[in-house]
Amino acid sequence: MRISSLLLALTLLCSALARGDPWQGELLLMPSAQAVGTFNRQAPVTEIVDEVVQLDTLFSVQRGPFRLFGEYLLSDHEGDLERFQLGWQASQDTVVWIGRYHQPTSVWNHDHHHGQYLQTSVSRPFLDEWEDLGGILPQHFTGMLIESGHKVFGSWRLRAAIAGGLAPIITTKGLEPFDLLHPDHEHHQVGFQARASLHPGEFTETGFGLVAATDELPTIGLAAPPLPGLDHVDLKLIGAFGIYAADEWKFLATWYHAQTELNSPVASVSGSFGVGYVEAERRLPHDLTGFLRWEGSADAGHNDYLKLFPLFVRQRNVIGLRWDFVRRQAVTLQLSDTNTLDGHFSDIRLQWSAAFL
Amino acid sequence: MRRLLTIILLLCLAAPARPASQAVVLVVRADSPVQELDSVAVRKLFLGLPVLVNGSPLRPLRNRSDALLDEIFLQQIVAMSQSNYDRQILIGVNRQGWLRPTEYDRASDLIAALKADPNAVSFMWQRDVGHNPQIRVIRVLWSD
Repeated sequence: MRISSLLLALTLLCSALARGDPWQGELLLMPSAQAVGTFNRQAPVTEIVDEVVQLDTLFSVQRGPFRLFGEYLLSDHEGDLERFQLGWQASQDTVVWIGRYHQPTSVWNHDHHHGQYLQTSVSRPFLDEWEDLGGILPQHFTGMLIESGHKVFGSWRLRAAIAGGLAPIITTKGLEPFDLLHPDHEHHQVGFQARASLHPGEFTETGFGLVAATDELPTIGLAAPPLPGLDHVDLKLIGAFGIYAADEWKFLATWYHAQTELNSPVASVSGSFGVGYVEAERRLPHDLTGFLRWEGSADAGHNDYLKLFPLFVRQRNVIGLRWDFVRRQAVTLQLSDTNTLDGHFSDIRLQWSAAFL
Repeated sequence: MRRLLTIILLLCLAAPARPASQAVVLVVRADSPVQELDSVAVRKLFLGLPVLVNGSPLRPLRNRSDALLDEIFLQQIVAMSQSNYDRQILIGVNRQGWLRPTEYDRASDLIAALKADPNAVSFMWQRDVGHNPQIRVIRVLWSD
């Protein structure tokens, strides 16, 4: 039985436990359209797509403490069930999910997911890029995610998430997560993630925290792997992040240290690299928001794992301006200057994004 | 002396009558399991965060029957501007699939919804509660 069908069946089963509570639902549509122009191009590979029209659809159905929650992304390039989770609100501060989830160690993706309208910049930091757009870190898992929050040190909050689920595999297209709608029979292995952060209040985004993850990523059908006979990659990640969010200013910073081990039946090659970003956002008069982002890496040029990802961004500078011109609609102009492992390019992006509840 | 009394009387007549004091109260159905909710729990509830009583989530009903109530809701209950509130609701749906409060433009519809659901929580003018035995006041949220 497909996992998506299993989750639907479980939802109906759980709803019987919430007898007396009414069914409730929510639908959120987040459409966006984006055009990209690339110039000063000295890199063999730059963007996978130059224009994207997409509709991100989120739905939530709740009965009592049980919730079925999903995100379906439809674009002119793909259609994918990005998240599909059955949740149980175990207590006021703890929810247990099973299904396909976005892994919690990506601070950016955990906050924004696929909703373009909710992120200030047009593009996301490359370290948080989705698998099908050349991303280097696994983002979609199928398994269990537990999220919780507790009061500590007086009015401070400790927010934590732990998860374990089927990790992506590495193919000629890059990382490929387990697909709920078209399940494959490849040997996805289980990966684990954890995240903990401290915040000075119940309702603030400001805070700082640590993340850790470990994954085994089998390789399938690679024509010219960096290690002959490459069978799988062990990827271990630790990181730290901080967010300062005030009325006018917002700062985000993240740094990950990754340890990689490429394994064939006869040899192993170990390595490590660092990758991170700092973003500053400033709210301006007339519903404008300016933003700057620096993305960087360390020891990336020598890492064999990164050779599997030709789009990997070694360093990137981003500047842009967003205008929220009417309620729940925005246009954003963004300029980027990017260095990959093999070259350099610049690009300009124009995006319209919206949210409809 | 008579002239002074006349002036005082005229001043009293000319002065605008002080309106009766107004209050916004937090209300539930009379047999609701909700006994008390502090301001943090009320804020969480109307931001769409889960607030549980006896293991069941409470359901917030937002009263939008007049503009002043909207202002009091933003200033006193969720403590943020309308645009920030809008954004928080979108973030809640996007991250966790949280449900936003159901909105009512007419007090009569709101009272009917409140009476139909023991886990519903709302707010209204105290004068609208009157002596309705089916509605129970939890606390005063605002008074002038």
